[in-house]
Order: sequence, then structure tokens, then C-alpha cells
Amino acid sequence: MMKQIIDKWGKSIGIYLFLMILFPFVMPDEYYRSVGIIIGLQAIVTIGLCLVMGLAGQISLGQAAFWGIGAYTSAVLTTKYGLPPFIGLIAAAIVPGLFAFILGRAIAGLQGYYLAMATLAFGYIVQIGITEWESVTGGANGMISIPQMTFFGGSELSMYFLIWGVVTCVLLFSLNLLNSRVGRAFRAIHKSEIAATSMGIDVRKFKLNAFVVSGMFAGISGGLYAHYMGILDPQPFGLHESIKFLTMVVIGGMTSIWGALIGAILIGFISEGLVLMSEVVPGLQGDVDTIVFGAILVLFIMFMPEGLVPRIRAAFEKGQARKAKAMADEAQRKQQVERKAAT
Amino acid sequence: MTELLQYVANGLVSGGIYAIVAVGFITIYNVSKVINLAQGEFLMLGGMVTVALIGMNLPYGLAALLAILMVTLIGVLMQKYVIAYVKKANPISLIILTIGISTLIRGIASFIWGKDAFALEPITSNEPISIGGVMIAQQSIWILAAVLIILFLLWYLMDKTILGKKINACSVNPMAARLMGISPTKMSMLAFAISGATGAIAGIVIAPLSVTSYDIGVLLGIKGFSAAILGGLGNPLGAAVAAFLLGIVESLGAGYISSGMKDAIAFLVLIGMLLIKPSGIFGERSVGKGGL
Repeated sequence: MMKQIIDKWGKSIGIYLFLMILFPFVMPDEYYRSVGIIIGLQAIVTIGLCLVMGLAGQISLGQAAFWGIGAYTSAVLTTKYGLPPFIGLIAAAIVPGLFAFILGRAIAGLQGYYLAMATLAFGYIVQIGITEWESVTGGANGMISIPQMTFFGGSELSMYFLIWGVVTCVLLFSLNLLNSRVGRAFRAIHKSEIAATSMGIDVRKFKLNAFVVSGMFAGISGGLYAHYMGILDPQPFGLHESIKFLTMVVIGGMTSIWGALIGAILIGFISEGLVLMSEVVPGLQGDVDTIVFGAILVLFIMFMPEGLVPRIRAAFEKGQARKAKAMADEAQRKQQVERKAAT
Repeated sequence: MTELLQYVANGLVSGGIYAIVAVGFITIYNVSKVINLAQGEFLMLGGMVTVALIGMNLPYGLAALLAILMVTLIGVLMQKYVIAYVKKANPISLIILTIGISTLIRGIASFIWGKDAFALEPITSNEPISIGGVMIAQQSIWILAAVLIILFLLWYLMDKTILGKKINACSVNPMAARLMGISPTKMSMLAFAISGATGAIAGIVIAPLSVTSYDIGVLLGIKGFSAAILGGLGNPLGAAVAAFLLGIVESLGAGYISSGMKDAIAFLVLIGMLLIKPSGIFGERSVGKGGL
């Protein structure tokens, strides 16, 4: 398994690991490390969403809800019941996974707009539920003093490596999935559900699995988020965040796991840049990032629906092909010249 | 008893608004098989632009008229330059596209008007009317009147005029319609114009009752879509009935269970409906797969 992945993506994984490890040392500022941590957390969710959208060809507009369920599960267990964060994190994967399973079971037969609206509605229900269930979640006021992770001292740097370690695991798991029989089944479903069914692929089961895995990824990320921030309120787990995740997947390329990662990094930096800009430029009140995300979604679907990574890959392969062709032409020419010289 | 009637009356008013949104969805869906998730934003723009124009000292009626024209234009431009451009896109892309447009409109609105909520003066006085102990705001009557007039005009347009027949022809078979000399693109543009105009009117009449702000479109949009699904996507009359039912259920839930859970109730109804009968109460099968 591992060998296959390394054969196929070895170079990309190498570059990824190099940059990932290098980043906190070239940016020794705590602020940039915290940006890196947030981006890592979002990358985990985005890779999961990519499995649903890119592989299973389904849309989820409620990804932030799973993120929120994970965050609150771990926060409540550790803060109210005194469990260690490690146990909280396991629960943060299982509980959203269960929610995804139940929701997925219920709506697995739905497609297109129906699924989009059902997940959107689910997102709203969860956010309202968190806000209203005041005795457990603290309602709109949120929760405070959630225990921090004491992973290698719990500094910003160790947190960075913990989270990017999880990103790496999620990435490898997803690449492996993509490369396996399951991945091929997913791609078949994406191309044509009817054809896939006739090949003996249980479409519902696969879609459900993708949905559950993406819910679990989002939940783990949410749990880590809760322990990293130390405080929680329902505000970040709504539609705005779900659309942000969607933008990340679209910008990188819906069918590419690497695209999801790169999309998360790009959008992460763009959001951070906008926050910095709004502090300097006085006119930038309101949600400038909403405008940017909306514009990105529209422009990408109009002009580059396949997303950045597949586009770059195609251009690269074209370049390679051209180079190969030029070399072949050159060799042929040389051969002709030699033959002429011989006669 | 009075309490119950009061809740039903409130529900009818919000249900009326959902009905306009639902009919807007269906008008576009029938012609172009696109669900325009920016539908709620049309309502928001209708209310906000009117407030802004009145702020520039324009008279109420003129401001409202200009706002309606502007939103209609936005609808047409959206069809012409964005939706028509990606004609062959798959349903996922179309969903993302209209979500993107709605996000963009919302963002621009928050950029222009900030995050404050604005109220519009009621068309007639603020005094509520009492009918058999049930208090009804005068604006509610305007809302219901607007809803009924819009629904009637749309029905008349679709069922009684040549133009409506052309639109129907495009929704049944675009290719055959084109052979008959009807342009599906133009009809689709017309559908966007209609839903823009009706959305804007709805946005203007509700602004005095419930304040308007940059983000009211999302909830109204989802609830309108819920009604459209409940009624059976593609069936305007069913959607209108379902919208009133949804409004009443929501209002009863808010009254007897919890007002904070009001919106959740509507969504639970939606998910429940999708589970039991995704084709809707009055719907046909095999709709909602999106695309074509």
C-alpha cells in the first residue's frame, strides 16, 4: 500500500514534507505559526470534503456543522467531565461520524440540489442546536477554559507539528483510498452512477462511507480546534465557514486531494491577508472575505471548473509531452542528416 | 383559542413570503433546470435598496419602484453573463455557482451597508388591527395582498398568455421550443427577471415588519426552497400551499415549543420530508436531480 503511494506521489510528498517542516522555522514568529495551525485544521476538513465532492460527486454545504459537533464534543467531555483531551479527540471523531452516518443513511438516495439543501439545513439545525442547548454548550456565550493539549509541552510549535502530523495522516489515508479499489469505485460513481451500479458497485454504501469519513475528519479537526483555542462559541460553525471550505475545495480542484490541501493553504493565507488589510485600510468594513470567496467560486466555475491543481498538472504534462516530442523530432532530424551523410 | 388563531395568522404572513420565494425558485427551475440559490438575496436587495434610496430623500413609491427594477436587472444580468455561460455544467457546478453568486451579493451588501439592520416605514400606519381578538399588523395585510396579487399574476401569465405558453414550452422541451421559434435563452432570462422582480417586491413588503439586513436572504432562501420541495419542485401552486403550511407549522412551533427553535423546526420538516417523500406532497417523481 504505502509503496504504491510513494511510487505515485513520492516527489509531491517529499516537497510537502519539506515545506511543512520548514515553515515554522523560516517563520519563527508565533503569529505565523498560529496561522499555520489554523490552516492545518482547515486542511483536514477540506481533504474530507474533497472525498465527498471530488470522489463521490456529492455536495455538502454543512461541513462546518461536523466541525462544530467535533469541537463541542471534545470540549464538553474534557471541560465538564474532566476526561483527558486524548479521549475527547477520539469522541470528536466518533460523534460527528455517527451524525454523518445517520444523516447520510437518511439522505443517501438524494442527489444534486436536494442533497445540497439537506446538508445546508442540517448545518443550520446544528448551529441552532448548539446555541439553544445552553445547559451543555453554554449557548451563545460559548465555553471557556477548555483544557489545552499538553503535547510536548503544548507550545505553539509542538501544536503546529501535532496538527500537521494529523494533516499528513489524513492526506496519506486519502491518497491511499484514492489509489485503491475503493478509489476506483468512487471515480466510477462520479462518472456515472448507473454504470457503476451495473458493475456491481454498491453506490449508496460508497457515498455513505465517503460522507462518514469526511464527517470524522471534520470532527477531529474540530476537536483539535477546541483544545487549541481554549474557548468556543457557536459563531464559527455556520454557513460562512461551510462556504469557506467549499471555496478551498473548488479553488484547488474538486477531484484532487492535493488540490484540497493547496486550496486550504491558499484560502487560509488570503483570509489572513484580508484580516491584516482590514486593520490598515479603514474602508474595509463588512465581510470582505465573503466577497472574495463568492467571486472565487463564481469565477472558477465559469473559467476553470477543474480547479488549479488539475489545470497545472495538465499544463505540466503538456509541456513534458512537447519536450518529449521536440527531442524525438531532433533525434529524427539527426538520423536523417546522418543517413544523408552516409549516402 | 385566540392564541392559536394568532399563531396561525402570523404563520400565514411568513408563509406568504416563503410562497413568493418558492415560486421564484420554481419559475427559474422550470425554464432552465437551475435552482437559483441566490433567490433569497433578491429579497434582501429589494428591501435594502429601497431603504438606501429613501435615505437619499426619494419618495417611498419611487424608491420601491427603482429597487424592483434594479433587482430585476440583476436577475437578467446574472442569467446573461453567468448562468448562460456555463450552460453545460453539471449540477454540482451549478449549485456552487449560485451559492457563489449569493455569497458575492451578500458580501457586497455587507460592504455597502454594513451589518446593521434597517427598518422601513410601514405602507400604512403602525397600528395593528384586531379581528376577533387576533392582532394583525397592518403591514401583514399588505404582505398578504402583495403575495396574492403576485401569485395571481404569475398564474395568469403562465396559464393564460402566449408568453406563458412559450415559457412552458421551453420547460417541457427546449429543443422543440427552439424549432418553433422560441428562444429558450430569452425565456430563461425572462424567468430570472420575473423571479428578481417578485423577490424584490417581497423584500420590500416584509422590510417594515421584520427588519432587513445584509444576511436575511439565506434563511428566507432556504425556507422558500423547503416550501418548493414540500410542494413538489416544479409545481407553483403546490409550492404556494406548502409555503403557507410551512409558515403555520413554524409559527405554531415557535409559539408552543420554543421561539429559538423556530428556524430549526422548518429545517427538520424539510429533512423529514426529504426522507419520507422527496418528490413533495404534490410532486412528480424524478425531479430535483438538477442539471438536465
